[in-house]
Amino acid sequence: MVKTKCWATLLPATLLLLAACSNGNTNEPSGSASNAASPSGTASASANDGGSSASGLAPAKLTIVLYGDESDRMKELTKSKFQDIVKQEINAELEFQFLPWSEYGGGKTDLMLSTGEDFAAYTDSNYMAKSVAKGLYADLTPYMDGAAAADMKKTVDDNSFKAFQLSGKQYAVPVGNKPNSAEFYSVLVRQDLLEEVGMSSVSSLAELEQFYEKVHAAHPELIGYAGTDARRMLMYEYTDKNLYWLNDFLAIDESAQDDKIISWFETDEFKAYAGIMREWYEKGIVPKYAATNQPQLTSDWNSGKAMFWAGTAARPFEGAAAISQAVPTAKLVNYFLNRDLPKISRGTYSTAWFVSANAADPERYVMFFNLLQKNQELYDLFAYGIEGEDYTLDANGRMTRTATDELIPDWLMMNKNFMRFDTSVPDDFIATYKAWDDDAIISKAAGFTFDNSPVKNEETKINGVFSEFLTPVSSGFVDFDKNYPKAMEKLKAAGFDKYMAEYQKQFSEWYASQSHSQ
Amino acid sequence: MSEEALRRSGTTRLRKRLRELRNDGSLFLLALPGVIALVLFAYLPMSGLILVFKNYNYNGGIFGSPWAGFDNFDFFFSSMDSAIRATRNTVMLNVLYMLSGTFFSVAIAIGLNELRSKSFIKVTQSVMFFPHFISWIVIGAILFSFLDYEKGIVNRLLEAVGMQPVDWYSHPWLFVIILVLSHIWKSAGYGAIIYYAVLQGIDTSYYEAARIDGASRWQLITKITVPMLIPSIILLTLLGIGGMLKGDLSMIMGVTFLNPLLLPTTDIIDVYVYRTAIRSGEFGFASAITLYQSLFGFVLVLVANKLAGWYDKESKLF
Amino acid sequence: MPYKENRALLVSFYVAIGLFSLICLVPFVLAVSGSLSTEAKIAADGYSLLPRGFTLDTYRFMFSSKTEQIVRGYANSVMVTVLGTACSVLVTTAYAYVITAKGFRYRNFFAFLAYFTMLFSGGTLPWYILSTKYYHLDDTLAGLFIPYLLNVFLMYLQANYFRSIPHEVVESAQMDGAGHIKIFFRIMLPLGQVGLVTISLFYALQFWNDFYLPLMLVTDEKLFTIQYMMYYMMANIQFLASGNAARIGGAIVAPPLETAKLAMTCLTVLPIAVLYPFLQRYFVRGIIVGSVKG
Repeated sequence: MVKTKCWATLLPATLLLLAACSNGNTNEPSGSASNAASPSGTASASANDGGSSASGLAPAKLTIVLYGDESDRMKELTKSKFQDIVKQEINAELEFQFLPWSEYGGGKTDLMLSTGEDFAAYTDSNYMAKSVAKGLYADLTPYMDGAAAADMKKTVDDNSFKAFQLSGKQYAVPVGNKPNSAEFYSVLVRQDLLEEVGMSSVSSLAELEQFYEKVHAAHPELIGYAGTDARRMLMYEYTDKNLYWLNDFLAIDESAQDDKIISWFETDEFKAYAGIMREWYEKGIVPKYAATNQPQLTSDWNSGKAMFWAGTAARPFEGAAAISQAVPTAKLVNYFLNRDLPKISRGTYSTAWFVSANAADPERYVMFFNLLQKNQELYDLFAYGIEGEDYTLDANGRMTRTATDELIPDWLMMNKNFMRFDTSVPDDFIATYKAWDDDAIISKAAGFTFDNSPVKNEETKINGVFSEFLTPVSSGFVDFDKNYPKAMEKLKAAGFDKYMAEYQKQFSEWYASQSHSQ
Repeated sequence: MSEEALRRSGTTRLRKRLRELRNDGSLFLLALPGVIALVLFAYLPMSGLILVFKNYNYNGGIFGSPWAGFDNFDFFFSSMDSAIRATRNTVMLNVLYMLSGTFFSVAIAIGLNELRSKSFIKVTQSVMFFPHFISWIVIGAILFSFLDYEKGIVNRLLEAVGMQPVDWYSHPWLFVIILVLSHIWKSAGYGAIIYYAVLQGIDTSYYEAARIDGASRWQLITKITVPMLIPSIILLTLLGIGGMLKGDLSMIMGVTFLNPLLLPTTDIIDVYVYRTAIRSGEFGFASAITLYQSLFGFVLVLVANKLAGWYDKESKLF
Repeated sequence: MPYKENRALLVSFYVAIGLFSLICLVPFVLAVSGSLSTEAKIAADGYSLLPRGFTLDTYRFMFSSKTEQIVRGYANSVMVTVLGTACSVLVTTAYAYVITAKGFRYRNFFAFLAYFTMLFSGGTLPWYILSTKYYHLDDTLAGLFIPYLLNVFLMYLQANYFRSIPHEVVESAQMDGAGHIKIFFRIMLPLGQVGLVTISLFYALQFWNDFYLPLMLVTDEKLFTIQYMMYYMMANIQFLASGNAARIGGAIVAPPLETAKLAMTCLTVLPIAVLYPFLQRYFVRGIIVGSVKG
């Protein structure tokens, strides 16, 4: 009796509240709709004739969201020099808002987008596709060919812009331009240990294992590989194909001129690879705790307690900085195992900026992104600070940073046209780094974005299968023969075939349209 | 019944209501701040529940987005074996937590109640509270240093006494025990304070009388102290039952590092949703499952509340 | 007291409780000693009860770069905890009194109204829209405690404590013509003191430990609480450890040092764990005296 009364009173109350709530929310879209109707407004007109000078631009306010820690120096500069420059160049007031990494690609970022706040942050193609489907990002296409983006069009690779287009529209603006082909396809070896045991280089799996055996005999406390995924660095061992992974499940063969998607876990290559990993795990090259405590692997590597890691172009000097605190003599060198295949690049960008759908002046944001990659002077300022205060330069343009505080993060900014090297980085490292992309090819899938909406369910479920059944098999934590059949059965039951077919269909369509335009 | 009598009974009822209102009106006033808080921060936002049945997009907002029906539940219930396992694990762990937690909290409260040294009580009470503050990430790291296969303290001790080392992180059922112990460790002190406060409120004359009757210390505990705690135990259990299908993701993440080998028992609903929906960025799926957890808990509570009502009307939640 | 003690039982209680307290203390000691060790030793040898390679470097480092933020974080946490606890204890006890009032026709309605919110929530999005766009709680100190004024769990606890007060006390006051408001402030609050001590402790913890409200509602660094700074750090660690970082342009972001993580834990836990038990009585008395006079 009491219960029915409760419900009877609750119901009208809730309805009333619902109505109140809906009124509030419908205000939001109307604002954004009017924005969409006149995307540039006065700002673009004046920018076109005014060029880079701020004269004629109406004042604007920009909020840039960054993830991670805000350093003290960053705070100071935001209030002083950054502010002045941005005011002077594009007549905007600049504010940085820092969020914990947990809020990247969801969390508070999504809430801010959904409530129509006016800001920009960085994204990836996966998050972009989902957000665009929900209408959360502003369409930046109208500003791409004008003066707003003119400078970065020169300093950022054209392919990078394509990578953030969806059906011909630019939804995010790439930032960074650095050699990053063959990410994780090389083995980053502790050269000091290698030389200590009388070897000079590593060029095959056999040599790599020999390296482990020898070092292990001398230093039993060290672990071999500080990771759980070695499919890329070992690729040259188990296949003649030049595989490039689109995600955890799917790959393409870059040496073939076709649009065929390969189901990685169903290949013989995967079986061969899993076999190697199982051996590594049993031998202790990958430590037992890797199945549980992956953070420990990274911290072991950083404290100099591992022999090799997955390499990238920049890791020999980026990583050395971390290790040298624990092992001052550490030296890191990249090796490819039996490489005679071209390196594959996903594009040279670091990441890309999006602007929220409800931003009052998206063009001004584009202008700001442009500033970051405009010229050496501005790049130096945003990445390194003020010369004399934060860093000094020697005659060769090599840098010594006097402050350790990070400004706009290095990894994000990195542009080969502007980036500076620390005086501690050896010349040959820089030479190797600069030449890294010379024999690289851009992946034939670069710029393709998968629209997951037809297979959302399947994608979600296969992710569950991956984290439970496929990772232990592929990292060699469990016996292959006993566990692989079950994992595949689960994968199929989760609807993998449907997912794969949809992926193939979209990719083929996209691939066909690409070859037309090229 | 005559019209006259009807009218009279009507007016007396009205008069009774008015008198009631005069007496109880101030109760509405006392409840008002709480009601406002509930409406502002719980009931108004509940409008968001309809999002579970929608495909959210920015232009449509909460109310204008297209309907999705039960699509958001599909991913969970279309893989029945995962859904059942996740539900089973959640219920199993929660029941174990509840039983062990209640037992230890009550035992500690009774123990504290028996102690004489005021400073000992004060210090131990504070110390037992410490674990409540330490985040699961830190606890997980510390636990790992105990349980690691090669370097862990536990295995080194086992080896020292001539036993085989155990690969703790590959035994899902063994890990249930570790989870339960961690949970006791983290929350027993917290729970004990609730019960201890009840005991402090007990009129000491009960004990005096029983002592005069020659009751032993143990009898005092079983005949007076424990019965005094029963209503509180029922209350806390009822409150806990509503959350029967909800789990602590940060605990499992911190303590097991989401080790795939442990998932057969540690894959609670929140973990499953994290591994699938959250990892895929499908937050709509995630909120649909939250509704499932709430509804399930609600049904359980309605039943449990009824049962509690048979035992004692006063111990019902509502 | 001329009463025969059961010595064995008493001793076993002391031992059992002492032992459990020790077990509770161990990880905390590990954390403290870890925060006083050097990073290299921790990485090499793991945790220990006594610091390895004793050093104050971690704290020195944290305070040298962040003194101002840490001090401000503490100030904010204390303010939020004191204000939040005082307000919510009053709101909560008043509500608890209502749902325990004998003979009140709607007490079940109010009980249900509260309980329902324990189970069902509409998710973050509408809550966030309302809190920022309509209540304007973003970047205000009030925003850090107002949304949590009524914790239904604690409200039920308090109701439970109220129920243990003999009903005759209330009845005799009603005979004397006292209204509910008077009974609540003059009789129930002082008599329910044990419960008040408990729920005020839990409220204090809730406000001290909260990181969610700052995360959602605060962008102004001046309003960061110490717990939010802690959460910030832990969230970064967890994100970097989860391998998600690879999604973002191969960013290498070095995870914070183990010692820093432990030092931060100590900084957030110590003040409340050590000080609160001593301050709690005064605090509760303050609330009662204040509300009785007011």
